[in-house]
Order: sequence, then C-alpha cells, then structure tokens
Amino acid sequence: MLFYSFFKTLVGQSVTVELKNDLSVTGTLVSVDQFLNIKLDNIRVENEEDCPHMMSVKNCFIRGSVVRYVRLPVAAVDTALLQDAARRETQQSTTSGRAA
Amino acid sequence: MAVTNDGRVLVGLLKGFDQMINLVVSECVERVYAEDEGVEMVDLGLYFIRGDNVAVVGLVDKESDENIQFATVRAKPLSEVSY
Amino acid sequence: MADTLTATPAPAVPVPSTSVQEPLDLVRLSLDENIYVKLRGDRELRGKLHAFDQHLNMVLGDVEENVTTVELNAESQEEVVRTTTRKIDMLFVRGDGVILVSPPARAV
Repeated sequence: MLFYSFFKTLVGQSVTVELKNDLSVTGTLVSVDQFLNIKLDNIRVENEEDCPHMMSVKNCFIRGSVVRYVRLPVAAVDTALLQDAARRETQQSTTSGRAA
Repeated sequence: MAVTNDGRVLVGLLKGFDQMINLVVSECVERVYAEDEGVEMVDLGLYFIRGDNVAVVGLVDKESDENIQFATVRAKPLSEVSY
Repeated sequence: MADTLTATPAPAVPVPSTSVQEPLDLVRLSLDENIYVKLRGDRELRGKLHAFDQHLNMVLGDVEENVTTVELNAESQEEVVRTTTRKIDMLFVRGDGVILVSPPARAV
C-alpha cells in the first residue's frame, strides 16, 4: 500500500515508465491503482525511430505487472517522508504477522 | 490499441473490459511490424484478450493514425515481456 | 514439529528496531544507505534506498544501473560481453524483478 499512496502523490508529474519489453514511455501520470497499474497522458516513446508502434497513441494504460522501472522527478519525491513511511510499514507488517 | 506480452500490436474498437483487464475488441487488426517490409495488417475480427497477456492499452488518435503511411514504416517487432 | 514451530513465544517486549529478526529487517536497516540490488535480465543497481515494501518494490536515489549483454560477433563467432551503465536520479523498481539486495557493508 505504501507505493500505491506514494504514486498517488505523484499524479500530475511527468514520469518515464520502463517496461519489461524494453519500451520506455514518458508521460504525465494520470492515475494509479492498487496493482500499480498506471495511466499516462500526452505520451512519448523513447527511441521514436525504433518504436513507431505507438506513434498515434496519445494516452495509455500500462499494466502494473509489466513495469520494470519508473523514473521519477527528484523534486517531487520527499525522501525523508518516504523512509519514515517504509519504516512504519515494515514495523506494522511484522508485528501483525507475529500476532496472526 | 493493445500491446500484448508477446509483443503483438492489436488495434480495434474496445467493446468491453473488466478488473483483470480482459479485453473484448471488435474489428480487431494485428499490425505486424517488420524491418524489411511495411506494416502488414491482419484482420482478426472480434477478439477476446485475456488480461494476463495485456501489457499496454492506449487510445489511438484517429486523425494522426490515418496520416501514417504504414506501407513505408519499418520497425523491429516489439520484444516480448520477460520477467 | 509444526507445534514446536507455532509455539515459539512472541517476544514480550517489542523487538528493538535495530535487531534482525527476519530477512526484511536487514533491508529496513539499509534505509537511507547505499545498497546493491541484483535484478532479472542481468541488471544491477547501486543506489540509496529510500523505500521498500514486502514485495521488494523499492525507490532508490542516485542510481547507477549496469546492464550486461552478450553479443555474438558475426565474423569471429565470439561472444562479446558488454556492460552499459547509466545514471538515474530517482527510480522506482518493481519488486518482481529483484533477485537479491545487499546492505551497504558489502556494496562496493
């Protein structure tokens, strides 16, 4: 749930999604869901000459499971907040795991 | 337009979808890209695509799509998705 | 056997956050440190760990990515191993590609 919340804070930012089929798509993050499926607007494919396949596509949905990386704008990421959240989340999941 | 996990490009009218991203596409056409010839269009008719195999779904801008000279487009087929 | 396993008493006092009780604790202790990550597809990352979850999805900062590719030289039939490196300021990594995570002490 941490990264779902994290990506929600990045809505409106420009990101580059690198897929497991080596396609890289840059666009404005429109929305994200719990599976980390991603919707992008005003997309541009890196390596346009090699990849004309998406030339006429302006916005797209990317299945979360085919994502390898998402390159993010540094300015939009609060690293301190992120680290705190990660600590809290793991603490939570381990204690609840022991209780169960 | 949908890109499948094996790298195929399918274009058609999206008639329906669900939570698992299963797709129903009518007037579906596969666009086969090759380096040594233009894009081959293969008519497939009404297609159901299982969500597991879907990598990308995109809205095609009709106007710019009609301006593409597909016979002259040369490109490697997209790679398959490998985990 | 199963009984003895499930009967392990939960610690009465909360485990201090510095101890390593389970594998992910090791990753937690690497937060804000430079780590090494080995990924599927002969990819390696070095960068500062900002966040992770139970799937090993991660956010890394100041990342250096190394991709190793093997190409067959058409003439000599020799395999040429090539490493391409690139830098990425801020990167989300999906956990399903992660093979191993190494904490700072062993990161070169």
